[in-house]
Amino acid sequence: MKVNAEPMNTNLWTRWFKVGVFFIAVGAVVMIYRFIFGIGAVSNLSDGSPWGLWIAFDVVIGIALAAGGFTTAALVYIFNKGKYSPLVRPAVLTAMLGYGLAGFSIVLDVGRWWQVYNPVLPGNWQGNSAMFEVAICVMLYLSILIIEFIPVATERWKKNDKGFLKKISVFIEPLLNKIILLFIILGVVVSTLHQSSLGSLMLLAKYKLHPLWFTPWLPLMFLISAIAVGFPVVVVESTISSRTFKTKPENHLLKGLLKFTPWVLGLYLILRIWDVIYYGKISMLLSTMGLLYVVELSLFAIIPLILLNLKSYKDNPGKMMNISMFIIAGLMLNRLNTYLIAFKTRPGWGAYFPSIGEILISTMLISILFVGYKVLANYFPVLTKD
Amino acid sequence: MSINRRNFLKISAITAGTLIGSSKKVSASEGKDNFSQTYSMLNDSTKCIGCRACQSACKDYRGFSTTGEDKKYDMPLELNAKNHTLIKLYKEGDESSFVKRQCMHCNDPACVSACPVSALIKQENGVVTYDKDKCIGCRYCMIACPFDVPTFEYDKAFPEIMKCDFCKELLAEGKTTECARVCPTGAIAFGTRDEMLKEAKRRIEADPDKYVNHVYGEKEAGGTSVLYLSSVPFEKLGLQTFDSEPVPDMAESIQHGIFKYFVPPVALYGALGIYSLISKKKDSTGGGE
Repeated sequence: MKVNAEPMNTNLWTRWFKVGVFFIAVGAVVMIYRFIFGIGAVSNLSDGSPWGLWIAFDVVIGIALAAGGFTTAALVYIFNKGKYSPLVRPAVLTAMLGYGLAGFSIVLDVGRWWQVYNPVLPGNWQGNSAMFEVAICVMLYLSILIIEFIPVATERWKKNDKGFLKKISVFIEPLLNKIILLFIILGVVVSTLHQSSLGSLMLLAKYKLHPLWFTPWLPLMFLISAIAVGFPVVVVESTISSRTFKTKPENHLLKGLLKFTPWVLGLYLILRIWDVIYYGKISMLLSTMGLLYVVELSLFAIIPLILLNLKSYKDNPGKMMNISMFIIAGLMLNRLNTYLIAFKTRPGWGAYFPSIGEILISTMLISILFVGYKVLANYFPVLTKD
Repeated sequence: MSINRRNFLKISAITAGTLIGSSKKVSASEGKDNFSQTYSMLNDSTKCIGCRACQSACKDYRGFSTTGEDKKYDMPLELNAKNHTLIKLYKEGDESSFVKRQCMHCNDPACVSACPVSALIKQENGVVTYDKDKCIGCRYCMIACPFDVPTFEYDKAFPEIMKCDFCKELLAEGKTTECARVCPTGAIAFGTRDEMLKEAKRRIEADPDKYVNHVYGEKEAGGTSVLYLSSVPFEKLGLQTFDSEPVPDMAESIQHGIFKYFVPPVALYGALGIYSLISKKKDSTGGGE
């Protein structure tokens, strides 16, 4: 795809950037502490709640929000909606950072991190395990995202560099251009597989996950909701980056993206409602958990569907941002519910709430996302100026 | 040798229709041929006096000694990384009962199905074993286990998953587990599952007034190697009511549906590729290079 992206070359060292760097430094100290003294020393994780913020937020939510990468890539390269191509590079960059950080978070969360590569070794393969599938697909997709980002890097290096990087860029670029579509399609397939597998993970918890969230349809629901949140994430990412780098907002494109969203949200809403009716769970709605369910579905689907049908949003970037934030918040609540809030703590254990240490680690990861995005968009041709 | 062989058979037993998430029941009978001949334990709660000799012996055998000033009063309320078996007390009015908890060594264990690296294996002899050299410490087994058994060493820099392994080294020597050996009242019987099940039913028949007419573990979650007898409802002992479907059945049939011989992913790849080429021709207005 031909895009006129260019490095932003702005001043990096702004106030928010400094705040980000500060949180990275603080998180790094907690991280060192965790590796020396164990997970229990910095977290509230226990036998009662084996998974907490690091898995539910950093990994599960992180990967769902990185769905902007594969949905945008599919739109432009598979459905050949060429006009959206300026959005691909930033979406791929966000996804690459998101998956990288999810992987980083997994290394921090697993107890035996020094053998975290074990799922790759053929003798250990376990085809029954959704976790095995997630592990393999996340590694694979992160590699694919890096490959998808290589043309962006070579574009800069062949122009601005002299020595080795220029040579290798000139050599690689034409080769990669010939086969990049194969990787992009593979990326889409691998994404659909592990987005659904993140739902499959909870199928084993049939006696532990609250029935309003437990359903055999979890894999499909996780996939559809990930697809639904993909474009709203691109809207938010694009809006923030155009403010940060003072580029012209791509509102006409974002408006077009949100055109697809009601269909996916509608399908999801029907599926969730059907699930509650079909499995006889309606009476459960009249409880605290039922209220949470309604709040979640309202944030994610009902309110956005209403707002998206009011024509006024289309000419209003602020409203597009708001709708997207509703969808993102609803998705986050859905994943938190499925993995933490609606998941039964073991008998004898109190409710889980993340510790300061866990929160600081997550803050570090989010900071790396923003700082990393800014550094890379500053150096490589990711964004278009006008 | 592990009995994962049956999972290959399962794959072929499932139709691609499960791709969209139907919970088609798949027979999990493969590999169960020898279940009745595997190691089994019968915990008779009515015979337990709560002396905790089993708990102490277990700790000694696993190297978490109870001796020494700090460790003398270790009386946890739940299973943990240093207590792979535990005596719990249920008391309500005049009614009371002890219950011994430990790994149930399910016939079709959720932890084994969950483990991404085959660190947890259901052995041919019925024991669910753990291999720390494979484990990555993801704790998915703890999420999956319906009996809340596996625990984790949160206080260590190089932690392991911890659970009862039926003293597998002792079994290999032809001995019983440590807990069964030291029990002074005969509350813990050890043998093959067939023997234990017969013995449990014999005891119920011999004294129907004393026992709840149910052997817990015979059918629960597809059957477990550890069986229970009780005079009070099992729920009150913390032994929850589960149906007879093995916990992994639904998850595995859906997972295998999605990945059946890799046909669905490859088909999706092909379909997307073809669509990409077609729509590129049609949509020449786009930015296709």
